[in-house]
Amino acid sequence: MNKLFSILISVFLLLSISCREKLPLDKDLTKKNYNLINQEGEEVVFPDIIKGSITVMGFIYTHCPDICPMTTHNMYLTEKELKKANINDVKFVALSFDPDRDSPEVLKKFAEVRELDFNYWTLLTGEKSIVYELMKRFDVKAIRTDEITDSEGNYEYSMMHTDRISLIDENGRLRKNYKGSTINIEELVNDIKKLKD
Amino acid sequence: MNALLAILFVLFPPDDNIKIKDAWMRPSSEKMATALYFVIENKSETADTLFLVDSDLAERVEIHETYSEGEMMGMRKVDFIVIEGQSSFELKPGAHHIMLMKLKKNINDGDKGEFMLHFKQAGEIKITATAKKQK
Repeated sequence: MNKLFSILISVFLLLSISCREKLPLDKDLTKKNYNLINQEGEEVVFPDIIKGSITVMGFIYTHCPDICPMTTHNMYLTEKELKKANINDVKFVALSFDPDRDSPEVLKKFAEVRELDFNYWTLLTGEKSIVYELMKRFDVKAIRTDEITDSEGNYEYSMMHTDRISLIDENGRLRKNYKGSTINIEELVNDIKKLKD
Repeated sequence: MNALLAILFVLFPPDDNIKIKDAWMRPSSEKMATALYFVIENKSETADTLFLVDSDLAERVEIHETYSEGEMMGMRKVDFIVIEGQSSFELKPGAHHIMLMKLKKNINDGDKGEFMLHFKQAGEIKITATAKKQK
């Protein structure tokens, strides 16, 4: 009986390990808390806000006209595909790497124009040093480019940045990174299904 | 006035060697940025150059390209786009696009906006683009 029990435990452990190995990363994001602000202007703590849920996380700035809207739209399409598969418990988080311009109000407007459902979506900004520390955990970089001050004294810039969507499991572990603007949505949906298996 | 316009039209007919197709832009909000995309068809034997785009929708309108360096992506202004003779050029997401900065009003799904494209050979071509979430 004891032998049978040991075999069953071993099989269970092997299956667990093989399931985890289906995705390439296994980085614990829960070791440190990051105090951020959501689109409602409320103080929130990452990763507390995603605890217990599989999360699709994108990195954006709202003044970006091309790449970041593609990333956001790909996350939106992923949400729709998951709903078609009756998966309604995945969270979507977009972290702005331009907190100087992306206030909660700006993020909320950005989300509303794109009809993002705040039941599933959280847009995050915060103190720049904290935002950039969190980005570092994901190996996401962003630097200012094309900085100009126009004739009226307005300072403007564009940003060069990592093009990234990340998949985080329900235990707050980073499991896979994707190119945000050109992600294969089917691949991401299948990876989410693997995490739920 | 109408007679003068008619005479000018006969003397200087609009160039139909350049055709603009599938013009669309992303919805966005006032004071923010967005991008305009379209296909330029050049039916002429010779190349033409798009060097300026005007619109009342935004405070600044520039021709941009998206580029990548490793995992990093960025955008930069370009001065012009050359469309070779007997060819077409597509401004599309992740590539060349018209960047609209500091929008003067919200652009919602289905809204329309007018743009004036300036070509070296074909002159000015007015287009209308429709706002869509994504193609």
